[in-house]
Amino acid sequence: MDADVGPATERRRSTDRRLRSLLRRGLAFRLGVTAVGVGLVVVFVGLVVLLVGGASASIARFGPGFLAGTAWDVPRGIFGAWPAVAGTLITSALALLLAVPVAFGVALFASEIAPRWLRAPLAYFVDLGAAVPSVVYGFWALVVLVPFLYGSVDPSLERLSGGAAPFASGSGETNVLAAGVVLAVMIIPTIAAISREALRAVPHELREGALGIGATRWEATRMAVLGPAAPGLVGAVVLGLGRAIGETIAVAFVIGNIYQVQGSLLARGSTIPSWLVNGFNESYGLGRSSLYELAAILLVISVVVNLGARVLVRRFERGARLRPRGARAPIAAPPPREPGTPLGTPAWFARHDAARSARLRRRHGVQLLVVVLAVGAVAVAAWPLVSLIDTAAVNGGAAIVRPSFYTSAPPPSCGIGQTSCPLGGIGPEIEGTLVMVGLAAAVALPLGILGGIYLSEYARRRFSRTVGLLVDVLLGVPTILIGIFVFSVFLAYDRPDDQSAFAGAAALGVLMMPIVVRATELALRSVPTSVREGALALGFPRHRVTLRVVLGSCRSALVTGCLLAVMRAAGETAALVLTAGTSLYWITDLRAPVGALAPFIYDALMVYTNSNYETDAWGAALVLLLMMAVVSLAARLAVRAPDAQGSV
Amino acid sequence: MPTKLEVRELSAWYGDRQALYDVSIDLTDRATTAIIGPSGCGKTTFLRCLNRLHEEAPGARVAGAIRLDGEDLGAADVVSVRCRVGMVFQKPNPFPNMSVFENVAAGLRLLGVRRREELDQGVAEALVHAGLWEEVEHQLDAPGSSLSGGQQQRLCIARALAVRPEVLLMDEPCSALDPIATAKVEALLARLKSEYAVVVVTHNLAQARRISDTTAFFYLGKVVEVGPTARLFGSPAEKLTENYVNGRFG
Ligand SMILES: Nc1ncnc2c1ncn2[C@@H]1O[C@H](COP(=O)(O)OP(=O)(O)O)[C@@H](O)[C@H]1O
Ligand SMILES: [Mg+2]
Repeated sequence: MDADVGPATERRRSTDRRLRSLLRRGLAFRLGVTAVGVGLVVVFVGLVVLLVGGASASIARFGPGFLAGTAWDVPRGIFGAWPAVAGTLITSALALLLAVPVAFGVALFASEIAPRWLRAPLAYFVDLGAAVPSVVYGFWALVVLVPFLYGSVDPSLERLSGGAAPFASGSGETNVLAAGVVLAVMIIPTIAAISREALRAVPHELREGALGIGATRWEATRMAVLGPAAPGLVGAVVLGLGRAIGETIAVAFVIGNIYQVQGSLLARGSTIPSWLVNGFNESYGLGRSSLYELAAILLVISVVVNLGARVLVRRFERGARLRPRGARAPIAAPPPREPGTPLGTPAWFARHDAARSARLRRRHGVQLLVVVLAVGAVAVAAWPLVSLIDTAAVNGGAAIVRPSFYTSAPPPSCGIGQTSCPLGGIGPEIEGTLVMVGLAAAVALPLGILGGIYLSEYARRRFSRTVGLLVDVLLGVPTILIGIFVFSVFLAYDRPDDQSAFAGAAALGVLMMPIVVRATELALRSVPTSVREGALALGFPRHRVTLRVVLGSCRSALVTGCLLAVMRAAGETAALVLTAGTSLYWITDLRAPVGALAPFIYDALMVYTNSNYETDAWGAALVLLLMMAVVSLAARLAVRAPDAQGSV
Repeated sequence: MPTKLEVRELSAWYGDRQALYDVSIDLTDRATTAIIGPSGCGKTTFLRCLNRLHEEAPGARVAGAIRLDGEDLGAADVVSVRCRVGMVFQKPNPFPNMSVFENVAAGLRLLGVRRREELDQGVAEALVHAGLWEEVEHQLDAPGSSLSGGQQQRLCIARALAVRPEVLLMDEPCSALDPIATAKVEALLARLKSEYAVVVVTHNLAQARRISDTTAFFYLGKVVEVGPTARLFGSPAEKLTENYVNGRFG
């Protein structure tokens, strides 16, 4: 008998040991994901603390009057925020005004009107437009859009308004109007992409319900689609607004960077982000503190827009449109009818019935008009993207087919007009981008995925709602602020002049985190509960179910989210201008300034103004464009591919 | 009773896939025609051809002729066709962002009705007609989607009736409903058939027997047999029909 008990006890003991170790690992996992959730809060609090801390001298000196002040006088030490705040609000409003109709037209066409074979390519180009780095848009705007506006649009506006207030004669090519138009060009794809998805998400039965009672296609869209899609459409617009408010580089290229409030859109000006990126590196003392205060104001604006959006979207989700227009008098019950008596046609119905064919012509006319307008919107939205790709190909095409372009450094300084510049390359910039994005991804992707797991699988309480809200807010924080935040952290803990590859990577990591967290959360939430319950019922521990089964069954969505985050980092400029510094040389020390693809374009135009790097900059732009084109395509294909079933 | 809809050699495709083969049927006015058959045999496709909703599907194509009161549907204006031939879908689909009132008023507004009294009268009559008035009289401003499933389906019927169609198409209108709601819709159908040409697709053979005057049995995209309901169920002419109505396959 002893011989029988022995192995059984042994088996039970080993099962106990395994269980305990599993529990330990489950607990460790749980602590780990919670720590990431806490980390996100720490990042946001750190952002607030450092910006406000940096601004303290300025706040003490100017008080609330800072907001109304109109000067930025470094020698006399007088600083005020109003020109930049006004510039931000005006350019964003202008961008929204121009972009929303076009973007909605594009979304409508892509979702409701376009023939089916055209829908996928169209969606791809919209995605691509949203993925093009802002520095590339800015570069294109400076070379193509701004001269076009200056040559054809500005004079007509001046003539039409008779030189009156909003269009009084300006001082040159760069102006507030150009900034507004560039912003519009940039946010059209963003708004269109999300709006298209919102429209697509409306169940097809609703459209058919409307068609079934004799609606034209546009009427069906208006009656059955726009209402349910409204929260998504509002969200799209607010996201576009957020992007316009925070956009830095493209605005800095075209707005003229003069600190003044003028009555004319044709005058030069500045916005908060453009003023920050222009002045931050050279600023000191009270001037820098005032820049911190500007940054804090920008943070407040972006948070307010973000939270306002949440409230607005909720309102629309609850169906704000259901409230009747005005109080309704109760309807008298109609007289009882004998069964079998037809509805009959009251005089008013007969009247409308008689006018049916005339009215039908008008309704078909409206339908046609909507189609024409939507096609027009697509044409308007396509022009910048086509022109941009064309310009980049023409100017940078020769560079990118030359092997040495990838292996050599930019040529030594070579004056404008000099004809025999040595051919250089952007090898160090590619290296810098790879190193910084690689470092950032190595940290931010795993942490971001853990954060997403925390939000979707573990957190159930108020704290998790706070974290979710903060992720939303962080997603909307302008990247220039992330640059300033990381710069300040490194300033506090390192040598004062320490712009470095590490700092750049840190900024990119902070930028990627919320994107990956949100993508992971959404991907995990899309996995049906039955999958989890199935695995849990088999007795697998929670963390293994999450890691293997749940993550496994949404792998492609996860990969897509990570790819998009990496692309955003690869195209980022504003945050790197402050944190990575500028360099034209190969990396020798990760603690020294480093060049990268996107910032190189900015530097070529704004820093090395005596050199002739334009061709190389176009080459860099084209490389970035090609990267975005390939990755957008990969992301699109990954979403289509069915997920392999995860195994425990 | 005269023939309301005349269907001649109707074939329908989704891309390369043919779903209907040379279907010819006469649909009688002021009577209910039931369409029965195993799932995937083309019932829905047939119904959707009758108000030209089929052409909204990707790659959709039709051949053959459908005549409404002798007038070729293919040549008529598609919007007025759908007005004259109303459709109720398998899953209730009231417009979720509209109130009960607005759901029913939607079709009237399309016809250009704007005046308050006219809309009120039209909506009330349609709701009474659909047997829903007593239940929603005091919640006309509630969202259409807040009603119960059966009420939503009757709301969709009221929505279709409001524009005074001549033909009413229903695609398995009770398949998403519980027995009590089903009984209400069936009672409603019994009343409606005295005023419209009603075509009902149903999976439920007992229901087809209860509510229809004529029954058509579809199989693999073809009409196997059409006839008075009692005759078709009692003494089917075709072996296939007999097997189906006796539950030997389906
Ligand atoms: N949108 C569609 N695209 C392609 N094939 C379809 C589509 N809808 C239905 N079909 C096919 O057409 C045939 C008939 O379908 P349907 O009319 O829905 O059948 P039923 O309503 O009798 O179940 C089926 O084989 C089905 O697979
Ligand atoms: Mg069907």
